[in-house]
Amino acid sequence: MQFKEGEKISAETGNGQGGQKELEAEVLGSGLCTGCGACVNLCPYQAIYRDRTVTLHSCDLDRGRCYSFCPRTPANLDVLKGRIYEGGYLTAELGAVKEFFLTRAADGGLRQKAQHGGTVTALVTLALREGLLDAAVLSETGESLLPRSVTVGSAAEAFGLGGSRFVVSSTVAEFNRAAQKDYRRIGVVATPCQALALAKMRTQTVAVPGNGIDKLNLVLGIFCGWALDWRRLADLLREKTDLADITGMDIPPSRYHSLEVYTKAQTIRVSLDEVTPCIRESCNSCGDMTAEFSDLSVGSARLPEGWDTARFWNQVIVRTERGADLLDLARRRGVLEFRDVPKGNLEKLKAASLSKKRKGAGVGEGQPVRSNPLEPSTESTGRI
Amino acid sequence: MPMEKEFIEGAEVLLMGNEAIARGALEAGVRVAAGYPGTPSSEIIETLARSAKPGRLYVEWSTNEKVAMEVAAAASFAGLRSLCVMKQNGVNVASDFLLHLTGSGTRGGMVLVTCDDPGALSSVNEGESRHFAKLMEIPLLEPADFQEAKELTRFAFSLSEEIRNVVMVRSVTRMSHASGNVVLGAIPEAAERAEFCCDGPVLDPDRGPVISAPVVAKHRLQQEKLRRAAAIFEKSPFNAYSGPEKPELLIVTSSACHLYSREAVSLLGLEDRVGILKLGTTWPLPPELMKKRMAQTERILIVEEVLPFLEEQVKVLAAEQVREIGIKTFYGKNDGTIPMVGELNPDLVASAIGGILGIPPYALPESYREKLRMLEGLAPKREQTFCPGCPHRASFWSIREALRRDHRGGFVCGDIGCYAMASLFPAAGFHVSKTLHAMGSGTGVASGFGKLGPFGMDQPVLSVCGDSTFYHAAVPALINAVHQQANMIFIALDNSGTAMTGFQSHPGLATNAMGEEVPKVDIAAVCASLGAKVVAADPFDLLKTRETLNELMEGPQGVKVLILKQSCALSPEKKAGKRQMMRVDESLCRGEDCGCNRLCTRIFRCPGLLWDRERKKALIDEVICAGCGVCAGICPAGAIQSGEAVKS
Repeated sequence: MQFKEGEKISAETGNGQGGQKELEAEVLGSGLCTGCGACVNLCPYQAIYRDRTVTLHSCDLDRGRCYSFCPRTPANLDVLKGRIYEGGYLTAELGAVKEFFLTRAADGGLRQKAQHGGTVTALVTLALREGLLDAAVLSETGESLLPRSVTVGSAAEAFGLGGSRFVVSSTVAEFNRAAQKDYRRIGVVATPCQALALAKMRTQTVAVPGNGIDKLNLVLGIFCGWALDWRRLADLLREKTDLADITGMDIPPSRYHSLEVYTKAQTIRVSLDEVTPCIRESCNSCGDMTAEFSDLSVGSARLPEGWDTARFWNQVIVRTERGADLLDLARRRGVLEFRDVPKGNLEKLKAASLSKKRKGAGVGEGQPVRSNPLEPSTESTGRI
Repeated sequence: MPMEKEFIEGAEVLLMGNEAIARGALEAGVRVAAGYPGTPSSEIIETLARSAKPGRLYVEWSTNEKVAMEVAAAASFAGLRSLCVMKQNGVNVASDFLLHLTGSGTRGGMVLVTCDDPGALSSVNEGESRHFAKLMEIPLLEPADFQEAKELTRFAFSLSEEIRNVVMVRSVTRMSHASGNVVLGAIPEAAERAEFCCDGPVLDPDRGPVISAPVVAKHRLQQEKLRRAAAIFEKSPFNAYSGPEKPELLIVTSSACHLYSREAVSLLGLEDRVGILKLGTTWPLPPELMKKRMAQTERILIVEEVLPFLEEQVKVLAAEQVREIGIKTFYGKNDGTIPMVGELNPDLVASAIGGILGIPPYALPESYREKLRMLEGLAPKREQTFCPGCPHRASFWSIREALRRDHRGGFVCGDIGCYAMASLFPAAGFHVSKTLHAMGSGTGVASGFGKLGPFGMDQPVLSVCGDSTFYHAAVPALINAVHQQANMIFIALDNSGTAMTGFQSHPGLATNAMGEEVPKVDIAAVCASLGAKVVAADPFDLLKTRETLNELMEGPQGVKVLILKQSCALSPEKKAGKRQMMRVDESLCRGEDCGCNRLCTRIFRCPGLLWDRERKKALIDEVICAGCGVCAGICPAGAIQSGEAVKS
């Protein structure tokens, strides 16, 4: 991730310090854990099992990285954004927006394997191929819809890993593991909460030897509405089909009010009324739809031609110089195709983002929303 | 104790109370002895087992106390003298049979020895077995010293034959486990032939069938037997009075409390004012003897441990005899003079006597207290935990991690064995074991929890049970769980022996109590035969054990069995051996830095691991480390390493 140099202000607020006990009380035990894994692979006390962060044993330290890195512990997000982004580009709704594009992977084969336009996969494989990154932390589909975080070192390995997974993967835990290896430039594809955790890791003040955060070179954010609880989702879909047959899933625009589940034989439409109870409880208090703490963020597109066309395109928000450089390289290498952004698209995205911020902050329509609330009602995971 | 050669008739030897009881049985000509291990009773059967010889003495560790009593009863029915031995809660297990046995009556002298544990030094209860004597309407004898432990046991056999019913002998921890001088008697040669005569009429005590019916007639007969016992007790030498003819205070006591009472009276110098009536036959009480002694005093203190059993009998007699002996003032447990729970000691008895007689309580000299305080400071604080190399620590570590990972609030129903410590002490069970009751109850309780799914309970339910406990009482519970389709995981912590009580044999082993080779009953085969899914793992393989458990928790509903097999660190084949030399690579040990926070010595807490406070590094205590290697698997930095294998 690109950071401005020279700023030493801590983003940790007065209450922003604690250890495992506080993490348990404020996050893990309060249904706020996003499962990002920021607290995992730092010590033997926290672990990821399935899509949950669990405490194996109790630690009695007053301060810990687990608490400082957690995207749900209090932090001054204004300070954090001020350190990372150039002030002129900051918006209340979407964070930093340098540029806004509609793109898709030029490689049709790649698009088929990926979600929507395949932009994320195209950018990750490009960065690996060009040596901008020597490792990328991604997620792959595991057994029974349970994603697995993996670190890959080549474009070939990254190629087949596109696609949304609807259940959180412990991406930051995998970054913590990879950062202890010999990699030097690591890229991470991150949901909003994971991107926030990575941003907090850059600003934390807990003394840590060999943290490895300096190896973080690129954060590719993905838009997220919410994530689903694995156990509840698996139970729901088991009623509809054999989980092993599922090849992918998507959420079409809201008027369809459904989750589409693809198998080789058919497309199963599951009403959102059935899906909503499966939403991870922590996602209800999240106000970040577009992964505001990334170098660039990618999500599904909305086009006047309708969903059948839009579903094969992506919207891309470029937030940092490094993000802009990567997108520029992709254009020059012909890896991405671009199309004109229809009038009003950015405004619609801003409205959608604001709506999530309202919901996350528990604020009704028409009431003012703080763009950078201090309390943990700002970010989370999931897809739109 | 070898009971023959050097222990000849007339010799005075130092014997542990339990050895004295065993010797008493031998001198009575016991032919069959059966029991189930349980502190403080285990040494009785162990001692007898060393004297076992075909045709002379058969000794067995039975699967449980009820079976032990049934085995002993069969010998009695066949005309042989027999003994069954158990700890206090074992009598509960045997009590259903005992109720019917006392109705049917016995033939060859049959004695039930129960060793109670006031203060629960080695128990998870402070059960009172004396009430069973009253409940089952059989005589109760309580030895008050070591010679008497032998003599009373011998007498119990002849009393049993006299009244044709079981006689109960009750000891306590301080009687069973303390030692004293005992003058030995002769051991008779075996001459009897075992034969069950059962072709006579129903009410023929020598040749009829042995049944408790016709119930009312047999019950009436049983009560006549009890009255006969009371008559015998009137003249029993095991009841003795010492003190002035008309004491200001009469102490009525029995068992180890007799010794405490004598010491208390002596400490206070009250031999001229306080009398002690020591009773060896505590149920039914001999009314005439009691009347004679109670008539001579105005104040009566009953000194006994746990519940006011003796106190209540004495008060009933005093009420019945009030016209003859007059109104008395009673002191004991009911008025709070003597504590209702825990063990007694001479100090407690002395302060009770002092309170009644208005004498300042006896106090230790200040200089002595000062020395006590100094010694307390020198003694390191130790918590109860598993031994170094204990497989239970590894098992509970994996169970803890599997349950925490699963994240649905799963828990363990505990059971009786060393692993009961998992329910009692954090350093032993890592807080996973949440229920603890009788032997086998963990699995029965789990079977019940496992049916609560339709009421919304989604917590994984686990039960643990050792190998000996499996045979003792877990099998019916497991059969129930399989049959009722309960959702649970049964974990057999198989450490190849009845480890907690000292490696007595059990049906899973190839050697019996007498050292004979016997067929093994395999736990996995039993479980599989019930139709349960059975998997096995080595608890020292932490990762595989944990993953197996997590798979079982995710797996299909029903009963799943995990057998964690690894011998006890103190087992005969492992004891004093060391598998491998463990070492700590100090360059890797992370010490107190954020990142591990002394997981090895703060959480895992094997006594073989030390924390060097000055160097801030982990250390292996080479003296006690058993070299099991498990700690190498918990160190996140890989600093604890297995060295070379140690040849034993």
